[in-house]
Amino acid sequence: MQCAEALRVQAYFDGEVDAVSAAEIERHVEHCAECRALLEDLEQVRARLRRGVSYEGAPAALRAQVMHSLDLEAAGVGNIIAAPPASSRPLAREAPLRRGRGFWSTIAGGIGGAALAAAVAAFLVIPRMDGPLSDEIVSAHVRSLMPAHLIDVVSTDKHTVKPWFAGHADVSPVVADFESNGFRLIGGRADYIDHQRSAVVVYQHGPHVINVFSWAGTDRLPSNSTRSGYHMAFWSQGDIHYCAVSDTGWDELLGLVRLLREVP
Amino acid sequence: MDDKRARFESQVLPHLDAAYRLARWLCHAPGDADDVVQEAILRAFRGFEALRGSDAKAWLLTIVRNCHFTAAKQQQRRASVPLPEETDEADGHAMISTTPSPESDSIRSDQQQVLERLMASLPEEHRTVLILREIEEMDYAQIAAVTQVPIGTVMSRLARSRAALKSKWLQEVEGEPRAVR
Repeated sequence: MQCAEALRVQAYFDGEVDAVSAAEIERHVEHCAECRALLEDLEQVRARLRRGVSYEGAPAALRAQVMHSLDLEAAGVGNIIAAPPASSRPLAREAPLRRGRGFWSTIAGGIGGAALAAAVAAFLVIPRMDGPLSDEIVSAHVRSLMPAHLIDVVSTDKHTVKPWFAGHADVSPVVADFESNGFRLIGGRADYIDHQRSAVVVYQHGPHVINVFSWAGTDRLPSNSTRSGYHMAFWSQGDIHYCAVSDTGWDELLGLVRLLREVP
Repeated sequence: MDDKRARFESQVLPHLDAAYRLARWLCHAPGDADDVVQEAILRAFRGFEALRGSDAKAWLLTIVRNCHFTAAKQQQRRASVPLPEETDEADGHAMISTTPSPESDSIRSDQQQVLERLMASLPEEHRTVLILREIEEMDYAQIAAVTQVPIGTVMSRLARSRAALKSKWLQEVEGEPRAVR
């Protein structure tokens, strides 16, 4: 009764296959009525769930309780498990020290040391091109999720959000509402990224917040990546760099990116 | 200690809402969800060093799920009558033994209520993968990490839960006698 390709079609639907497999599956679906129907069903179940399930987050009272018990825990009240066994502590403290001394004595070791230092420097520089910017964006994203940090200008109207940036950020990014595609514009914020006042457009997708950062730049962008569970998608349009960051699925995040790039 | 607390707050606490949502779907009473989340956050904080920059959300949700099972087992042991067990049957004839919290029912729409009731009637494994995929938007690897099963199992559970929810929904809206109230 069910096509043997059903699980692959589902994986395609969930954005879990690479481009080559996706093309294969699309060809298959063209000829397989069963899998076409399956795709429709999957879409329907998803739409119904995302529309019908409430997204309420942790109530304020629970949040307060959690913070309180963390206070107690951090103060060591009623806490036996948290303290590491005494015997492991000196070891943990010593290990990095020893490694540190070894490193410096090698560097001091003359020409060989200089070559090694150069190698180490090269090694340090390369990841740096990706590292700090992505780190900066993820921290800014996480900061924005704390209560009352998310939005400076609350509006679902792009004609309100876009002009607001004129006085508060160094760039004027694409602002649009894609409510019908599940991405609701909820406001804007100014944030500091790459030494600039970056414009952040804030969208909501189900329970997820998506921050779209934008700043002026012409240098190479990092490639798309995931840090601590947050996906980051980078792209440029004209001389503006963009980064969309969220804990949505990749598929959903890239869906928003596609929509934004299509805005004339 | 202060530094650990600050890192914990910035890496793990942003996922408190997701933890609560999952707990609400796992537990039948809202108060139980609060307890599970509370316990999970404490356990996460104590074991925070184990996280080491990996996926904090998947990690926290794994702990939430484990805390729920521990609590449920304790409750079961205390109860004089054992709780009805959810079955892993694919087609959703599982007994509807519970309903979602009634306290806020009046403000939710009919459709939402129906959907939540149908979701509650799915076996836990199926409900969880659906929620993690469709609401929390996690990928297969993350869901596999949270539910501690291979990716292949995630895929088949997803397929079965989606099919079950669809057929339950059809039964419901077409008013077939099998629909349970």
